[in-house]
Amino acid sequence: MLLRASILIWLLVIWAVSGFGEAALTGLSIPATVSAINSAAPLSQRVVHYEIDAKYSPKTHTLDASETLTYHNLSGQPLDTFPFHLYLNGFQPTSTWAREAKREGTRGEDFEQLDATRYGAEEIKSFEVVGQGDLTSQLQFIHPDDNNRDDKTVVQVHLPKPVPPDGYVQFKINFHDQFPKTVARTGWDRESVLGGQWFPKIGVWWQGAWNCHQFHAYTEFFADFGVYDVKLTVPQDEVVGASGVEVSNVSNPDGTKTVTYHGDDIHDFAWTASPHYIDVYDTFQGSMGPVKIRIMMQPAHMRLVERHKRAVQVSMRCFDQWYGPYPYKTLTVVDPEPDSESSGMEYPTFITGGTAWWTPSGDRTSPEEVVEHEFGHQYWYGMVATNEFEDAWMDEGINQYVEIKVMDVMFTPSTSVYDFWGATVGERDGDHLFYAQKPDFDPMARKGWQFANSSSYGVITYAKTAVVLLTLEGIIGEDTMRQAMRTYFMRYRFTHPTKEDFLKTIEEVSGKDLRWYFNQAVYGTEVFDYRVYKVTSLPAEWFKNDLKEEKGKTEYINNVWIQRKEGFVFPVDIEVKFDNGEKVREHWDGQDRWVRFEYWKKAKVDSVEIDPDHKVYLDRDNFNNSYIVKENLAPAHKLVNYWTFLTQFFAQFLSWWLV
Amino acid sequence: MQGEGLISAGARIARNNKRYVVWFFLLNLAFARLGASGLGAQASATLDHSFYADRLLHGFNLAVLNELIVRPEFGPARGATAPAMIFAVLFFVVSLIFMPGVLLGYSSDHRISRDEFFRTCGHNLWRFVRLFLFFIVIAGIIASILSGIEFALAKAANETSNERLPFYMHLASLVIMFLVLTTIRIWFDLAETEVVLRDQGATRKSVASGFRTTWHNLKRLLGSYVGIALVALLILVAGIVLWHSIVPPASVFGAFLISQATLLLLLAARFWQRATVVAFYLGKWTSIEETKPASTALVSAS
Repeated sequence: MLLRASILIWLLVIWAVSGFGEAALTGLSIPATVSAINSAAPLSQRVVHYEIDAKYSPKTHTLDASETLTYHNLSGQPLDTFPFHLYLNGFQPTSTWAREAKREGTRGEDFEQLDATRYGAEEIKSFEVVGQGDLTSQLQFIHPDDNNRDDKTVVQVHLPKPVPPDGYVQFKINFHDQFPKTVARTGWDRESVLGGQWFPKIGVWWQGAWNCHQFHAYTEFFADFGVYDVKLTVPQDEVVGASGVEVSNVSNPDGTKTVTYHGDDIHDFAWTASPHYIDVYDTFQGSMGPVKIRIMMQPAHMRLVERHKRAVQVSMRCFDQWYGPYPYKTLTVVDPEPDSESSGMEYPTFITGGTAWWTPSGDRTSPEEVVEHEFGHQYWYGMVATNEFEDAWMDEGINQYVEIKVMDVMFTPSTSVYDFWGATVGERDGDHLFYAQKPDFDPMARKGWQFANSSSYGVITYAKTAVVLLTLEGIIGEDTMRQAMRTYFMRYRFTHPTKEDFLKTIEEVSGKDLRWYFNQAVYGTEVFDYRVYKVTSLPAEWFKNDLKEEKGKTEYINNVWIQRKEGFVFPVDIEVKFDNGEKVREHWDGQDRWVRFEYWKKAKVDSVEIDPDHKVYLDRDNFNNSYIVKENLAPAHKLVNYWTFLTQFFAQFLSWWLV
Repeated sequence: MQGEGLISAGARIARNNKRYVVWFFLLNLAFARLGASGLGAQASATLDHSFYADRLLHGFNLAVLNELIVRPEFGPARGATAPAMIFAVLFFVVSLIFMPGVLLGYSSDHRISRDEFFRTCGHNLWRFVRLFLFFIVIAGIIASILSGIEFALAKAANETSNERLPFYMHLASLVIMFLVLTTIRIWFDLAETEVVLRDQGATRKSVASGFRTTWHNLKRLLGSYVGIALVALLILVAGIVLWHSIVPPASVFGAFLISQATLLLLLAARFWQRATVVAFYLGKWTSIEETKPASTALVSAS
């Protein structure tokens, strides 16, 4: 008896020492379902399983829901603190989002007053940790980024018992949402709603700490992969679309219906509903299996269906061939409520485009460009799930670069944005223009909310990254660049890679040390601007009073000066053409501020061009990259001609009506 | 078909006095060239020696154009726009000054002398300025009211889920605004004609008379004006289509020719409207006075 008691005591001591107080719930797991992917096994290391049962009221634009979140602790250490995003609380006047947006403007938002219709809220009604009781009263708002005590976009809970490494914990949360009139790609507009960032979402344990930033005016999102099972109850006349695959659609006696969705290996869930959507279906035969494409069109946009389909098909084909397969069984493309703030947004397997019924074929910004861009995010954000708060260039910028490549395939490099009666804009030209206007406020490698302003965020994150990668393509070659991007995608899909993961992959695949470039382009703010500073052709016998110059006989001392105007050091090629047709290629390492090339020839310099193969897109000013000795007046005359026409027309218009 | 007769009579008067259109067109061109000189100087400094400029010559790359404009070396945008605005306004002022001479020429069955032309212009200058001020006040008030109504309707249309409704709202509003403003233009064109042809010093009387005449003959006059405006629209569209389809992008001279031909015809359309009012005015004058001046034959023959 004493022996038994001793053994029991020792067992109790051992249990207490080994894990006393740790909330190791048994029987929990993240489902290994694959019904939403073309794969026999899960593709990601699944950390979360969200089960949400939500009821939406279109009259009040509110939603009441219960959420069961099962979390798998893969941090390698016990966890007793868990932060959650409550993004909809950003749409309140004292939030960090609103303060930043008021100060600098934000993604598509620049307001005098945050109109009351644009207020949003996400209120946790009850918060239970299974096995540890109701912890609603323990919830605490935190402000890790700016110490704004009025910000309620991140809430944290401290568990009485920590979750052991590799253990599971389950949260049961009841919450209430008030959707704003669409802002920052979420909310209602007229009779539609786009449910984005609408549920309490747990932060990411990343690089040894919780990563759960407040909602900022420019930044986007970051979350862990897992499984989503979501039930949406809405009025029966609503057409509903969402991330993942539709599992069931059941009519309820009270005039509502419940649509159930399931998603595998995704890290967010968005949905939309409107009585006006018209569904159009298509299929893409991907390398991992067929993908069912559902396009939810506005009734007035049906003439643009084929353009949507083509944009999706070309985009999916390019990505599949160039970088790797799209493994999901569905892709939902939403043509959102016109003029709403819900266009142009990406969620896993679910994107919003945005167009207008009158969009002419020459305007490729919508639907083609926006559909392509948002689809691209299925790769650069959806699968390669970088931290959008901290490394926005890795999703937006890399995606912008690939957008250029895909749009080149869809149209031509010089007409991929606009093509109206000879007036054209190509994607790369547009990005270069955008970049050139503000190239040096911030480095690409900067946390999103720390950019100087929204304009700098936009320029650097999207446009500069795109031209940096285009220039990188010029350095290592298009095929190598594509191979490097493919390696990066295949290696890091379904993970959260860092910027160094990307840069090292490029170096590894290209076999080149590119630090000199990355340090300036990615981590630095130096501006790239080379120019032809001066060109002279002086007769070698200039000192003779009776000198008669004869073409082909007189010898000239030709001098060409090239200047590096700004701080970015880059080796360049230079082509000098002479008036006898001869061409000379020079290479300059760009280390000094300027260089001079001298040629003694029986010919004069005809023209000089820096980067004659047009591989460098980073140069802010392309006009000064060349010099033609004999001036060509035609371009300026053409402009004057156009301007004269407009001035005359305006003058006639004025006189027509006034006298 | 009285409307057709009026339009034809106006066309005949305008055709017989082509020199006015030509002179006004040359002024229009000269002023615009001066207005474009700022842009020309700014553009030349950057474009004349650069290969990159080729993207504006062979084709017209709007991003490259923007790059040109945002270059610090290009200078402020107002360096190009301010002269254009000034010379456009100058053309309006010149039109205001010389329109009385044109109206006299249109009403006359012989070619009036330069002396007559300029004397009429000088004689009627302040009357035309007063009429212009009347016009600005009346048209401004009516246009503001219409714009307010249009804004309210557009806002309401935007709230509906019919996406095309706001567009059709705008279109209908534009058409209504065009018709109302054209009516006001007819009214003041008649007033100006009366001021010149009757040597009416009290412009308010001409304004009142112009209003009555417009009101009683609205269908006929508005039909004529709208018809000619549609011809002008067709000219503009045809000119742009031709410009795009037959002129190679790099052909500066070809573009100049076709653009100027289009603008000449557009200007002619406005003078055709003025001539139509003169024809109408002379015909009405005849019916009131029950006399038959030479110009009556012009109208009745049409």
